[in-house]
Amino acid sequence: MAAVAELDDAVARVALELPLRANLSALDNIALIPLYQRHYDATEAGRQAHALLALLGHAEIAPLRDPDMTPAQRFVTQLARALMLKRPRLVIDRPGAILYDVPYPHFIRQLASQGDLTGTWEIFDFSWNQTLYSE
Amino acid sequence: MNFLAASIESLGAKIVRVLTVGYGLLAFLTEALSALLDRNTWNRATFNVVVKQVYFTAVQILPVFLTYVLVISWLMITIILTTARDFGLGQFASEMTIRVLVLELLPFLTALYIALRSGSAINTEIALMRVNNELDALAHCKVPPMPFEFLPRLISGVISVVALASLACLIAVMLGYLAIYGLNTSGFEYYTRTISKILDFKIMAGLFFKCALFGLAVTLIPITAGLETPKKLFMVPVSVLRGMMKVFFAIMVIEVVSLALKYI
Repeated sequence: MAAVAELDDAVARVALELPLRANLSALDNIALIPLYQRHYDATEAGRQAHALLALLGHAEIAPLRDPDMTPAQRFVTQLARALMLKRPRLVIDRPGAILYDVPYPHFIRQLASQGDLTGTWEIFDFSWNQTLYSE
Repeated sequence: MNFLAASIESLGAKIVRVLTVGYGLLAFLTEALSALLDRNTWNRATFNVVVKQVYFTAVQILPVFLTYVLVISWLMITIILTTARDFGLGQFASEMTIRVLVLELLPFLTALYIALRSGSAINTEIALMRVNNELDALAHCKVPPMPFEFLPRLISGVISVVALASLACLIAVMLGYLAIYGLNTSGFEYYTRTISKILDFKIMAGLFFKCALFGLAVTLIPITAGLETPKKLFMVPVSVLRGMMKVFFAIMVIEVVSLALKYI
């Protein structure tokens, strides 16, 4: 799995090792990117973050902080943050480590089918979990 | 011979460690100053974080802080006044009160108070951010933590120590008057003249600078100590312990240098 951590800057990652900022809400975690990387104002950054959460079908988690989230809500926020980076590749690294209490291949497929999300999502998982994806 | 070599080696290692810490603090301060001057840092969100941090550091503690200042000031004024009268130096009581309380003790105690309450919290939070990989996640997102995590804490430290020390000094001056002259206005002219004689521009500028340095020390050192924490959860208490020791040492150095500059 070290290979995943060494992926270049053109890859947006969702991984257990890249947690959310614990004292910020889901919305603020996502809005940090347009705010401090692209220098949008706070209102516009918040609007973009909210739109992305709504696109993934989870707008209701916007005010939650990391400790108050379920694993699925945490994963959605991390995914939205990775999507907000707008990088050519999106890698989900060992989703089972984050989504330990849901049938995650189905959950991720469902998220990917929401709205008009573009780009390719790649999942890196242990070989012994391969059967989970064929169901 | 071996003992001598070991002693020199140990001394050298200590000096290198102190210089490394000093360099780290200076490098971080330079980075913070350049972020402070960067136009992109100053958006509504950063300003909101600064306001929130000032609220947590200075406003939230006001009731407890004011009680603490009232008790300490009243005790110190009573001690100074009684001792001065016992030695027949009653006419110097107001001057001694201002010199001891306003110029030295209250700014020092304010800095210690903020260090214990907010400095330790900052150290713990930054150390946990590092251990939990939150800083790595921000780096992955190419979001610099300086404008919304570190800089607001530095600014709020300086604002809070300066504001709370000013408030404490004002209370001490009023209490001093009440303790010496009571509720009548007969000593008002002499008292205000004494204050203006002691607190000239140079002394006031020095006091402001000292409080600002205290504010910087109680936030800058915990932040850098937190950032130096090894990525192991059990190292967080060690990081806070080391950070707070450095803060105490820095406060002492600032106070001693300020006293030396004033009286030697």
